[in-house]
Amino acid sequence: MTSTGPLRDPANRVSPKAVRLWLLESLFAFVLFLGGSLLIAHWVGGSGWSWVPGWFADHSWTLPAAVVVLLGPFLVTEPFIRYAVHRWELSGDVVYARSGYLTREWVFVPVSRIQTVDKAQGWFERMLGLATLEIRTASHAGSSTIKGLDHHVAAGLAEQLAHRAEALRDDAT
Amino acid sequence: MSPKVLLIDPVRMLPSLLLPLVGVLFVGGFSARSYLWAALGVAGTVVFAIIRWATFTYEIVGDRLETKRSLISRSVRTIPLERIRGVDVSTPPMHRLLGLAVLKIDTGASGGDEEAELDGVTLQEAERLRAVLLRRTARPETHAPDLAGPGERVIIGVPRRWLLYGPLSGAYLLTPFALAGGAIGLTFQWGDDLGLDQDAAWSAGEWLWDHPYLLLVAVLLLVLAMPFVGGVMYAVFNWDFQLKRRDGYLVAERGLINRRSVSLESARVRGYEIVDGLAERWAGVVRAWAIVTGLGDSETRGQLLPDVPRVVAYQVTADAIGPYRAPLRPHPPVARNRRLFRAVFPWAVLSLVSAVALLATGTVLWWFLLVPSLLLAAVGVPLGLDRYASLGHGYDGVRLAVRSGSLRRSQAVIERRAVVGWRLRQTWFQRRAGVLTLIAGVGAGKGGYSAIDMSEAQGAGFPAEVTPEWLAPFLTSRTPPTP
Repeated sequence: MTSTGPLRDPANRVSPKAVRLWLLESLFAFVLFLGGSLLIAHWVGGSGWSWVPGWFADHSWTLPAAVVVLLGPFLVTEPFIRYAVHRWELSGDVVYARSGYLTREWVFVPVSRIQTVDKAQGWFERMLGLATLEIRTASHAGSSTIKGLDHHVAAGLAEQLAHRAEALRDDAT
Repeated sequence: MSPKVLLIDPVRMLPSLLLPLVGVLFVGGFSARSYLWAALGVAGTVVFAIIRWATFTYEIVGDRLETKRSLISRSVRTIPLERIRGVDVSTPPMHRLLGLAVLKIDTGASGGDEEAELDGVTLQEAERLRAVLLRRTARPETHAPDLAGPGERVIIGVPRRWLLYGPLSGAYLLTPFALAGGAIGLTFQWGDDLGLDQDAAWSAGEWLWDHPYLLLVAVLLLVLAMPFVGGVMYAVFNWDFQLKRRDGYLVAERGLINRRSVSLESARVRGYEIVDGLAERWAGVVRAWAIVTGLGDSETRGQLLPDVPRVVAYQVTADAIGPYRAPLRPHPPVARNRRLFRAVFPWAVLSLVSAVALLATGTVLWWFLLVPSLLLAAVGVPLGLDRYASLGHGYDGVRLAVRSGSLRRSQAVIERRAVVGWRLRQTWFQRRAGVLTLIAGVGAGKGGYSAIDMSEAQGAGFPAEVTPEWLAPFLTSRTPPTP
């Protein structure tokens, strides 16, 4: 994954276990969509409603099939592309993080402007021993969220950031 | 509170009481008994107002302001004076007649309930309180000696003839419709009491339906009234607009009937936004807002200037906050294609779909979709070109500026030290075009100000130019920032 022009890649990847996390999450969404489309196909197929076009009522299995064909590639590629894109680095007292799948984001947050550092764990993350680091400044646009870090890495980074932020506090915001 | 507020409160409550009172009179058949009940109701509001007035007190104790309310439950609110970020004095019509004012104290806390409000102090007391409350907070800000000069200085008093620019701003243009809607709503609400029922409403509706030209004339009249009523409203709200500097505060005063004065602490002003719509650009006038940290209701409170000629706006913002002296750099030509595509494509697709449907079905109705979508697609061309022309960003060593928009073009000018972070965003389409959007995170105003569709070199080069110490570790080559 090459970086944008003059910007280099952030140094650290997220935890390899994050692939499993994203796989779980997209599988969850996939099952929801598939289940929904199966339900609709079942209802429409057996209903004989007049407003449903004939060709669709007879071949209602096409809807779930379309869901599988359209969403399948996303389900398979998203975790791996995300693992390649998601990276982070702390150097020169600036947090530099990259994230995204179809839309990519690069965020630069200087430690001197950090107001709070939160470590959060969702249900899946808890299972895999991962954590999300939320770095907040006075502006939502200048805040950063790093997902899929190993729990001990997130804890260490949160500690380090909190210490440095204390030392560098700059109240110009 | 001044006892004169007793004259205001019951009168203000009357409208909400009117319906129940009228209802009581009707139900009682206008008997002596029903009049008695109605009189009791009015007396009740007066007594309530008196008790409220008698039990509400405020006091400045040491370094804090305390307001006490002990009507039924006791509540004491304490506001440390150094927390006060601004004071907003306004005089609604009735207060004005009696020489009173409403004082709102902005503490930077979120939520409307967190603001202290002193309703009904005399004008002199309001002035005194403002001076006391603001002087205490301004004192620590001694590092800006040129701002903290004693007394006050008028930066600009907007001449009345500039109020004629009002209708161009598009503000209050919908007032005639709002008024008509309000009148209809009121008729329906009171209809029951006046003996009109649903049948009457239905027959009125049917009668109107049979005379469509009447409806058309009414709508036409409302549309014609738009600029006039809008202009009058604008003039009423922006009458004698004055921007002053007083003890480290920017004070904006305006209004004909409700005279309003808003104080913004200079030390919290991070920049300003200069806004002009299409019609305003044609006339060469702009409006301006201040970008302030922790300002609630910033759309009305942050206003620095109503419609004034562009040159004047630049002078005033430079004087009040600080100048921006650098040209804006254009964004790459591919950004023009993207603006054009986005302005034209959806309408082109819609007209294509309706054209196909027209050919397939031959229903006349499709013409009604085809013609407007074709027109909108055609208008999209100049619109897209203008959107591209608006795009720009620049940095003059102290402040950075980003500009975008066409129907409402907005240029934000932000102090460099107010930037708390950078965010680059690139959608899949932007990646293919080799452009991205840069968002400067600012802990004030909207929170983030975007430069849309920069080239990738600009997207990395601009933050590196504004805050080289932050970006330096992450640049691959040590080439100087691209202009």
